[in-house]
Amino acid sequence: MIKIQLVDDERNILSALRRLLKPEGWEVHTYDNVEEALGSLQEHEYAAIVSDYRMPTADGVTYLQFAKQRQPDAIRLVLSAYGDRDSMIKAINQAEVHRYLSKPWEDHEVVSAIRSAIDLYQLKKENQRLREENNRQKDMLRAREEELLRLEAENPGITRVQRDADGSVLIGDDD
Amino acid sequence: MSNAPTPQSDQELLNARLEQANQQLLQSEKLAAIGQLAAGVAHEINNPVGYVYSNLQTLDTYLNDLFRLTEAVDSARSLDDLRLIKQNIDYDYLRDDLRDLLAESREGIERVKTIIAAMKDFSHIEEEAFKPADIHRGIETTLNVVNNELKYKAEVVREFDELPEVECIISQINQVVMNLLVNAAHAIESFGRITIRTRQEGDHVIIEVHDTGKGISPEHRHRIFEPFFTTKPVGKGTGLGLSLSFNIIEKHKGSLDVDSTPGEGTCFRLTLPVTQPDTDNE
Repeated sequence: MIKIQLVDDERNILSALRRLLKPEGWEVHTYDNVEEALGSLQEHEYAAIVSDYRMPTADGVTYLQFAKQRQPDAIRLVLSAYGDRDSMIKAINQAEVHRYLSKPWEDHEVVSAIRSAIDLYQLKKENQRLREENNRQKDMLRAREEELLRLEAENPGITRVQRDADGSVLIGDDD
Repeated sequence: MSNAPTPQSDQELLNARLEQANQQLLQSEKLAAIGQLAAGVAHEINNPVGYVYSNLQTLDTYLNDLFRLTEAVDSARSLDDLRLIKQNIDYDYLRDDLRDLLAESREGIERVKTIIAAMKDFSHIEEEAFKPADIHRGIETTLNVVNNELKYKAEVVREFDELPEVECIISQINQVVMNLLVNAAHAIESFGRITIRTRQEGDHVIIEVHDTGKGISPEHRHRIFEPFFTTKPVGKGTGLGLSLSFNIIEKHKGSLDVDSTPGEGTCFRLTLPVTQPDTDNE
């Protein structure tokens, strides 16, 4: 199940987003404070994290930077009523957010931004899975090659099959 | 700056002009302060507008679902068909959530209303006469206007005692309290506490704004009421807030004192007479 984390100090924003995302069928976790949100990063693996910018105790960019360290694969988004240049630059450069959305928002924009974040997350995951599989197969090949070399070194010629003119396998002590 | 009655003279004329210039300065500082608050107020309004707007869009889909059910009353062949639709639209969730949706949206609109009313209260230009006013109500209005500057910096604690109505120009007292609150928030580097205390002492009332901020360094302490003195970066402060506050309080025959310990915090104490001495100002 795809898990999404929403962080905003305003509870009513969280309820509105929860309503909005319900039909998508994702597991939506909401937090109205940064401390609990941080804690939940240790228990759940999120595909996307959407955070408010201005919150007491820590701003959204600071939170997302923490989140990036704990869960580098989760895609980060900001949903803020505070759209000044500095906050956007910080969000892009420091928290490397996927989208910067502003309040008030259009429902379809938020949904499509999160969908695209999830696609990106799944692509990343798929990529990782394929890379791991590739590495595993490479390791297997290397192990086989090494075994062959070892056998060849112990018994020169053992890895080569010798045949006569009509194709029969020749078995002999040596040449 | 006392307006002792003098015989009709050039001096009186000059005094009147000075007073007028002062008024204009006061008003423009107020507008500048509101301008600086505007970004914060926009944030404060965009939050409720954000969820109310989104809730309305959700309400639209809920209504479509409900209409689907009511319209099926005519076309459905059996009661089971209707039950199926009812189940499909998650009727129980929808019914419960509709109530929450409306309650939360109403709360949002109320908040916008409060902020707009506070802004209007706050920017009153016409009220220039001394009138008995409720200081606590003034403080609440001001808190509503500056809430956004405060809530990310400090927990606001109210320690209000009983106060009589105070004869004052409440819009100007609000402006002073706003300056003190915004300064308090700016003095706090990460997150602290701002305590607003009120009490009556004899025929005076006392309003204290106490912050747990970085304090005022001794070399700045005697300059804070000077016009244009500011430690804020260019564009962040006019340097007029405290000096105009001082003027306002002087005009009210009150006093404005400061106690500050660098590293621990600052306390501004505003003392106002409950009734103005009968000198018939202006």
